[in-house]
Amino acid sequence: MTKAAISALDGRFASRLGPVRSGRQGVSGASSLLLLPAVLVVCFCLLVPLAYVVVLSFNPPVTGEVELTNELTLVNYARLFLQPFYSAILLRTISVSAITTFLCVGFGLVLALSIWRAPPRQRGLRVIIVISPLLVSIVTRTYGWMVVLGDNGILNTLLRAMGLIDEPLHMMFTQGAVIVGLVHVFLPMMVLSILAAMDKIDPALAQAAETLGASSFVAFWKITFPLLIPGLTAGVTIVFSLAMSSYVTPALMGGRNAGMLTTLIYQQFVVTYNWHFGAALVVVLLTTSLIALALVLLESGRRTRAWLVKP
Amino acid sequence: MMARLYRGGFDALAWALYGFMLAPLVCVVLVSFNADAVQSFPPRALSLHWYWHALNEPSFVSGAVTSAVLALCATALATPAGVAAALALHRSRWRGKAALELLLLAPLVVPGLVIGIALLVTLAGMDVREAPLRLLIGHVLIVLPYVVRTTLASLARLDPALTEAAETLGANRLAAFLQVILPLIRPGVVAGMLFGFILSFDDVSVSLFLVDARTVTLPLAIMSYLQYNFDPSIAAISSMLIGLTILVVVVVERRLGMKQLFTG
Repeated sequence: MTKAAISALDGRFASRLGPVRSGRQGVSGASSLLLLPAVLVVCFCLLVPLAYVVVLSFNPPVTGEVELTNELTLVNYARLFLQPFYSAILLRTISVSAITTFLCVGFGLVLALSIWRAPPRQRGLRVIIVISPLLVSIVTRTYGWMVVLGDNGILNTLLRAMGLIDEPLHMMFTQGAVIVGLVHVFLPMMVLSILAAMDKIDPALAQAAETLGASSFVAFWKITFPLLIPGLTAGVTIVFSLAMSSYVTPALMGGRNAGMLTTLIYQQFVVTYNWHFGAALVVVLLTTSLIALALVLLESGRRTRAWLVKP
Repeated sequence: MMARLYRGGFDALAWALYGFMLAPLVCVVLVSFNADAVQSFPPRALSLHWYWHALNEPSFVSGAVTSAVLALCATALATPAGVAAALALHRSRWRGKAALELLLLAPLVVPGLVIGIALLVTLAGMDVREAPLRLLIGHVLIVLPYVVRTTLASLARLDPALTEAAETLGANRLAAFLQVILPLIRPGVVAGMLFGFILSFDDVSVSLFLVDARTVTLPLAIMSYLQYNFDPSIAAISSMLIGLTILVVVVVERRLGMKQLFTG
């Protein structure tokens, strides 16, 4: 079965390389030789392993067994979609990701607009503040939120010192804490996507609208916002699929009842050793991300071309 | 009147959000200088005690060494492969090019967790269970797409006449690459390497399933320490990492400009 998967991939690989050798415009042998190491790495270290996981997810579950067999079954997927315990986790993962994405859109618009409207000298500083979380390990960021939101954390201490509360608020280890952490992690990506779209907008457009009597809110809503749709689409899909597949934040900030798909996956692979069921969960996660990616590719061709870096 | 109110509200919200972005990082640094083991805010006394504690925590030290060696090796392996591939892609004009570009950037699209699990399962199926080897493979996949992307971006800005001129003047392909193209695209290549290095060093999701008891990367060592302890030595090690990252970013910004990293 593995060999079948590998040769299937080889076939696809060969068909991709076909035009290299026979193409009319042709590429010298040296060029395809230059491509070879990187292409081999991605094929054998990414595509083949992904195919392996997909096949494993259709094999009957046997604890501790990792070899592929010829028996194909949908048992693992049935367990995920039909058992209420697991389907509840799936639904919770989707709803937490959706709420995170929604908040990122709102906050991302505010931050991107504030950067866009800032005087040129302040722009760089504002961008650095927004992307600063991207430059630090996710563990550090999550620990930072534990320090802020904990029972003896900074926020509770401040609120108590101001006399607003007597008992500490329990903010850590809740669904809300996970969402706060996820919004903080993914907001920079959303802002960058929106800014990329804003850079293409002529600021004179909104100014013209305001000169003609529109309030700045109306000018934004009627003129600027529609032009931001491609950037927003890209941001929404990026944030949604990253939120679906985030592990550290739900694992450290979520309580016992805030488990997400990723924490369930971790359990299958590291604690209970049910790799076949785990593989099915991975396939569902990957499919969701790929559907999100397909949406990006279809919805905003313009941005996609920039992303692929064509000369 | 309404417009001013709207502007005021907007500015207040924007500043609150800037505060939100900075809050956890600033708080981590503040807590790291706190002398008490129990969190208190504002700190009653300042000390570097927790830095000393963090530097003497064996799992942090060995984790830092593992992560640094891993990120260095992964960058060293991925860079030549990525630059070579970008060069070939840039030169070629055939139809399959877009598909190949997509293929090489695919590791960016697949969630890290999925990459880690796929490698774990496949290598276990082949009876390969050495953690250093599978970590190295995973981290090469992290670095590779960034090198490809930033190199392609620099090549796109390159004047094609320069290569032609070099070749007309008698340089062969290799000499033209080493003496003309490479010096010109170096900022892009270095930016990709640095970004790849940082991402590899900070990575959790790919490594999560590839480490074993003996080989643990620094972020995972911090994470497992965090699950049993909550003292400020975590804040101290995190602050050191924040400082290190700021240093790298300042160097990149001074020498190359941050735009390299985000506008691929």
